[in-house]
Amino acid sequence: MTSTFDITLNVHRFDPDSKKTWVQTYTLQAGRIQRFVDLLRRINSEIDPTLAWGSSCEHGQCGTCSMKINGKPLLACELLVENAVAYFGTTTFEVEPLGVAQVVRDLVVDTEKAYERVDRAKPFIIDPRPAADGQEHAINPAELEHYVSATRCINCFCCASACISSHRNFLGPNAMLAAIVRVMDPREGEKGQRLKCLYSDEGVYRCHSSRACSFVCPKEIDVAHFIALAKEGRMTPQEK
Amino acid sequence: MTIPISSNLHCDVLIIGAGGAGLRCAAEILEHMPGATVVALTKVPHPQKSHTATAQGGLSAVDSRDPLDATIFHIFDTWKGSDCTADQHVVKKICESAWEQIVWLENRGMHFSRDHQGRLSKRTFGGHTRNFGESSAYRAVFEADRTGKGIMDTAWGESLKRGIIFVNHCLAVELLVRDRQCVGCIVFKQKTGEFVRVLAKATVVASGGSGQVFKVTTNCRQNTGDGLALALEAGLPLLDPEAVQFHPTGIVGAGILASETLRSVGGILRNRDLEPFMARYAPKMRELAPRDLVARAIESEIREGRGIRNPDHDTDHVWIDLRHLPDEVHAKQIPEVSSFFKRYVNLDPQKDLCPVRPSNHYHMGGIATNEFGEVVDTARQPIAGLYAVGECAAASFHGFNRLGTNSLLELITMGKIAAERALDHIRREPAALKDTAQSRFVQRFSRYREAAGKDSLGRIRDTLRNLMTEQLSVFRTEAGITAAIESLRELKERADRTALSSRSWAMNQELVERWELDNLLSVSLVICEGALQRRESRGAHYRDDYPDRKDEFNHHTVATMPRFGEVKLERREVDMSIFTAGGAHHEKFAVIERKY
Repeated sequence: MTSTFDITLNVHRFDPDSKKTWVQTYTLQAGRIQRFVDLLRRINSEIDPTLAWGSSCEHGQCGTCSMKINGKPLLACELLVENAVAYFGTTTFEVEPLGVAQVVRDLVVDTEKAYERVDRAKPFIIDPRPAADGQEHAINPAELEHYVSATRCINCFCCASACISSHRNFLGPNAMLAAIVRVMDPREGEKGQRLKCLYSDEGVYRCHSSRACSFVCPKEIDVAHFIALAKEGRMTPQEK
Repeated sequence: MTIPISSNLHCDVLIIGAGGAGLRCAAEILEHMPGATVVALTKVPHPQKSHTATAQGGLSAVDSRDPLDATIFHIFDTWKGSDCTADQHVVKKICESAWEQIVWLENRGMHFSRDHQGRLSKRTFGGHTRNFGESSAYRAVFEADRTGKGIMDTAWGESLKRGIIFVNHCLAVELLVRDRQCVGCIVFKQKTGEFVRVLAKATVVASGGSGQVFKVTTNCRQNTGDGLALALEAGLPLLDPEAVQFHPTGIVGAGILASETLRSVGGILRNRDLEPFMARYAPKMRELAPRDLVARAIESEIREGRGIRNPDHDTDHVWIDLRHLPDEVHAKQIPEVSSFFKRYVNLDPQKDLCPVRPSNHYHMGGIATNEFGEVVDTARQPIAGLYAVGECAAASFHGFNRLGTNSLLELITMGKIAAERALDHIRREPAALKDTAQSRFVQRFSRYREAAGKDSLGRIRDTLRNLMTEQLSVFRTEAGITAAIESLRELKERADRTALSSRSWAMNQELVERWELDNLLSVSLVICEGALQRRESRGAHYRDDYPDRKDEFNHHTVATMPRFGEVKLERREVDMSIFTAGGAHHEKFAVIERKY
């Protein structure tokens, strides 16, 4: 129960002042249930206060601490040392920022830039249909069930990082989810703009169907399933 | 030393903190004044990363079409839950406009869970009752176990749709207040390391809680009480800083909530010797005793050396034993919490004992406001153009103990109410803004730059958080608090001597944490002083040496601290206007016993 691991982290760093990039190696003895965010915090307290990394809720609800560990995009708050050692079969880890936007410093990327793609997909109801009696809409739970899983997306950008198409013209799997949810949501009155976005040259047909998005999603959303629905034009319950 | 201000930004409304309360406020302003320039600042990389998004449970609101429930019951439950220290006019105002807020969210796309008719599902929560305590009320609407995320996404989407300007990754470092007027604030942009002066006709502080004051907390990394420290520095008072809520079972070490359900399905709390210790504290109710009693029992075990130390997180805890529960209970009734234990401590609750400890959860106290969210001074005069909403503010809706689901209700309702006042203010006020000399941030950041001592700011922060968890959480005593105050002064001196490792100010995380450390120290000290003078127990504030509530303390604490260490405490009466109005059921709104 009290076993510890000698962990080596090769952290990919960037200094915006000198524009230098380098890999810095930190070694530390880590407890089995310490998480990668705990390790980074310990590096700050015990070894190097200058290492910059991002986190917020630290329990998988906000998607701020997403980074690549040995190439896999994941949430550092959900990765326990002993699980990492078992999963990757090593005690040495390459720690890199997600490649979804410019690096600001070390592991911190320009999230705002990454979000511009989500904003383009309009993550809100463009033209709400009025509710019948000025109260709430009635939405059949069976209908909600078709898209509710996609509403769980936290925009951690792990999918966008893993997606082989998203670095060029594709808006990205998470941005697609934002649009798809609102095609499926009966309260959205403006479906035309949505479909235009989904079927534009930065839309779903950029997807190569690798399913990497579903594989890496920390919220276990089957992102590829929703993109497939969009590709097949099966987003409305009538057409199911 | 001079610190240059690189640019000025003018706007109609400045929102400090882009969580649920701030963006609900922004959305309301933009809906009613299209084209208004609304700037929202956030310390996190993006508004969606705010702490609001982590709230699970629900949002209480009485639907007037509900034949079994009534708003007066919700008002009563909130009053009783507050241990008779909420302000009745505030409680009335918020509860009465609650359902309207639910409809606002639903119509704008929040994905509420639905019943078989497609209407909003409702569930029951502790302390929410029908007929003044007679039976449980089904009053909380929810979005599965991610209600806060639903609110956050909706408020963010609506603000984005209506043209809000977000300034992410920045700090509000000085409120520009002079002659009872606020004209904006000085902002530090983390990405570039620059300071910007934002001048606004109205400024809304919505900067969230202060949970990082404590070592074990459910709060996100950014909740360092910045807004509270900002107000204190500007000479403005905090209301009831000592009123801090703890949840009995946080998972060690992430601190995340292990829900009450674990105990209601038969989970047993055990100490180091595996003794089911609740039998000694509450022979009848045992694990099902009220939250505060369970939390104190756990802390007693730890204090008396019967806790277990987790080496990885350097934290003492007790066990919750779920091993004896049938497979079906694990699979059907507690799957989420079970998955939390698996994910964050790699334990299987069907086979292993799971480590828990009371976890700081919510700060009832905050920047003192009136019932419209207008920030007030110690004379209860509003500061023109300055508002505070959400967890950083105290109107006071929660008094000394918050009911589950009432925080989300408060943040959206007060966000909207403050927006209405801000709109009035903008429409009335002439455009000319008095510039106000600013100097506090220069002093503060110069100090950071000039300090030359060698120490670890991370270790100082850890010491502070440990100290507060040991002395100021669920158990408080004269000796403990006095010792904590002494230590805080020493830690402050240590921090002030400590040099930063890097001269660069662009995305310098250590610099941000240095600034946060000062905020943590200030807020901690005010919590201590408030707790020290309140020689009684009330709601979440429990004094081991004064275990009963006393009538002589039937008042709010009003605390100011313009400079570190110079705490001044005053009193403010509790509004009891429902009781004094003498209408139907007014007798329920007397100072009553908080017994369930």
